[in-house]
Amino acid sequence: MTNSSSDSRALRKFLRHKPAVVASFIIAAYAVVAMLLLFTNMITMDDTLQRVGPETIPGFSSVQNPEKRLEDAEWLLDRIDTLAGREDPRAALDSFRDLGVRHVAEIPIEDLQQRVEEGWEIYDRLAEVEDLTAAVNGTLNSPDAPTGEVVLADLQQLELKLDELLAPMTAKEKSTRWFEMLFGTDRQGRSIFYRSVYSIRVAVLVGLITGLLSVTIGTIAGLLSGYFGGWVDNLITWLYSTFASIPNIVLLILLAFMFDGGHIDEPLNRWTGGLLKWLIGGRLDETLIPVYIAFTATFWIGPCRVIRGETLKIRELEYVQAATVMGFGRTRILLRHILPNVTYLMLINFSLLFIGAIKSEVILSFLGLGVKKGPSWGIMISQSKVEVINGFFWQIGTATVLMFFLVLAFNVLSDALQDVLDPKHV
Amino acid sequence: MWAYILRRLAYNVPVYLSILLLVMLALRVRDPVFGRLPKNATTADIAQKRVELGIDRPFHQQFGSQLKQVATATFDEISWDYPGQTVGEVMSRCIGPSLSITLPSLVLTTLFSITVALISAWFRGRALDKGLVFVAVLGMSVSFLVYIIFGQYYGAYKLNEWLGYDVFAIYYNPEVSNAGWGEFFTSVWPRYYLLPVLISVVVAMGYDTRFYRAVMVEESARDYIVTATAKGASQSRIMFIHMLKNAMIPIITRVVITIPFLITGSFLLESYFGIPGMGNQLIVAVESGDFPIVQSFTAVFAAVYIASNLLTDVLYALVDPRVRLS
Repeated sequence: MTNSSSDSRALRKFLRHKPAVVASFIIAAYAVVAMLLLFTNMITMDDTLQRVGPETIPGFSSVQNPEKRLEDAEWLLDRIDTLAGREDPRAALDSFRDLGVRHVAEIPIEDLQQRVEEGWEIYDRLAEVEDLTAAVNGTLNSPDAPTGEVVLADLQQLELKLDELLAPMTAKEKSTRWFEMLFGTDRQGRSIFYRSVYSIRVAVLVGLITGLLSVTIGTIAGLLSGYFGGWVDNLITWLYSTFASIPNIVLLILLAFMFDGGHIDEPLNRWTGGLLKWLIGGRLDETLIPVYIAFTATFWIGPCRVIRGETLKIRELEYVQAATVMGFGRTRILLRHILPNVTYLMLINFSLLFIGAIKSEVILSFLGLGVKKGPSWGIMISQSKVEVINGFFWQIGTATVLMFFLVLAFNVLSDALQDVLDPKHV
Repeated sequence: MWAYILRRLAYNVPVYLSILLLVMLALRVRDPVFGRLPKNATTADIAQKRVELGIDRPFHQQFGSQLKQVATATFDEISWDYPGQTVGEVMSRCIGPSLSITLPSLVLTTLFSITVALISAWFRGRALDKGLVFVAVLGMSVSFLVYIIFGQYYGAYKLNEWLGYDVFAIYYNPEVSNAGWGEFFTSVWPRYYLLPVLISVVVAMGYDTRFYRAVMVEESARDYIVTATAKGASQSRIMFIHMLKNAMIPIITRVVITIPFLITGSFLLESYFGIPGMGNQLIVAVESGDFPIVQSFTAVFAAVYIASNLLTDVLYALVDPRVRLS
């Protein structure tokens, strides 16, 4: 694995594995989005927390039932009516941000109130209809009931009136609005598109940071333990046996609880003169420190155990013994002769831990111990519990689909890496 | 072999002690007193509560009393969340519901996934095998929580609506814990436990099938298979008699390794469906800071975990004469 010809052979073998190549591209795409979210203001945290319209609007501008359309119309009429009745209606209307990029029309308040009044008139007519859906379908069995066409025309007219209450959109606003409403809104009227895409940031951060930290710590511990043996080995084996003998999820919950609420990381940060915050903070999100620590403390065991075993094997190989005989220092042997031969294990383990981190985040968030600030797929899935009971699948669906492709890509990649780099593995 | 077992046990003593220590220290990061007193509690109240809970004692004394409980296996400390109940009582109350889910799940998952793995290995490299492997990977890429939410929606809510009859209960009813044995198997288990069991079988199938298939595929490349083929044994005989027998070694290992998780229960399933099992109870105790329960539960989990690891190695040696315990 050390010389370049076998490296390129592994690479060629990998490139022949078509699903793995596709998976790499998918992962790269997620990484690009995550970088954009981290380093630009494409979508901000505020966007994900801000209401953009009525609650539980389905995505892809799907047709809704008449009752829901009427309900949404009532919501907007009521909001604008209340705001227009305030002492300083203009200021109140200007600060109205519950419609995402859309704004209330810049027309005199009297005109606005006039339009709201007209809206209410149509609304009242529709509200009197006993069963709107039945009326639209023409299945209402009553002689003086309005026909389906009349009801539909009324609804459309009402929605047109609502549109007149709002300022016309520029082309740019129109495209922003399209994205805002692409996957609909959740139970608090927030954009599911913003929330689910913004969650890529959390997923990649958690996967990347805990993956890198765990693999680094695990590799160092495994190498030292396997190569030096003796008390170093005893110490490290004792340490990982201890962590490994507590069921994974119990340890995760215990650690997450321990670090939750800044009981440890804040004193630690003060004590080190803000080092922790400087290392992990700002863009790397210091509110995620408890999650990073809990995951790393749980996940380092896997790579450590595997790399220790491999180092024990490599240590006895002729070329390492030859290097020892030639008088190379132990550090040099470890770094130049052993480390390059375990890098494939580091790669495979990183890929597996990335999946583990994303999936565990969902479980921790469900238990209220995970992500604290802003959305994540775990939070979205847990929150959609109530929506699912009401037959609204857009939030859970979007979060699951976005998570599914990332995890699937990593699953395929891990398999391919294992096939290419570690064919003996079962 | 006994020497080996004793040596392994001795080796695990420091590990076990450090687990107890780790859990106790991790819990003590937070002061449990404040959650258990009203907002306007005085210093005297706080001091009294500390004495009541026994956390005024020096740490080594607390550790000692925990150690004594573990060593004598009598968990007689009083739970903080359930006054008047000892940890042992809480444990024996919770173990039943947990086992009602995990035991059937383990049996069903193992049987189903071995069957699917055999089918997959039989058609190795062909469309059916590739399809099954692909479905397994797809299934592994969806969050457990999503399976639970949709499992409940379609299994309990929609199914009941379509049939007009409550096949599965959506939430656990505490009254069912008083049911007799006969009633338990005929009406309580199918109604309250079958759905969570089915969900956990579906979730676990992907992982297990892939593992068992890999085992079978590896076995099928061995020399004894070539020999058996050469002497004219039929393919089904080779698969079910020769191969399955040898594949049993890793299968047994994998099953024994999951024994501790029978006792921990499924955290997510239990807390979602409100099943009062070990996992659910532990999460509740961690969150409310019920030290006696968390400490004793984790002590039991770790003991079972270490024991089953040891058991795996011993079984391995018993099943495979080539493996020597040293």
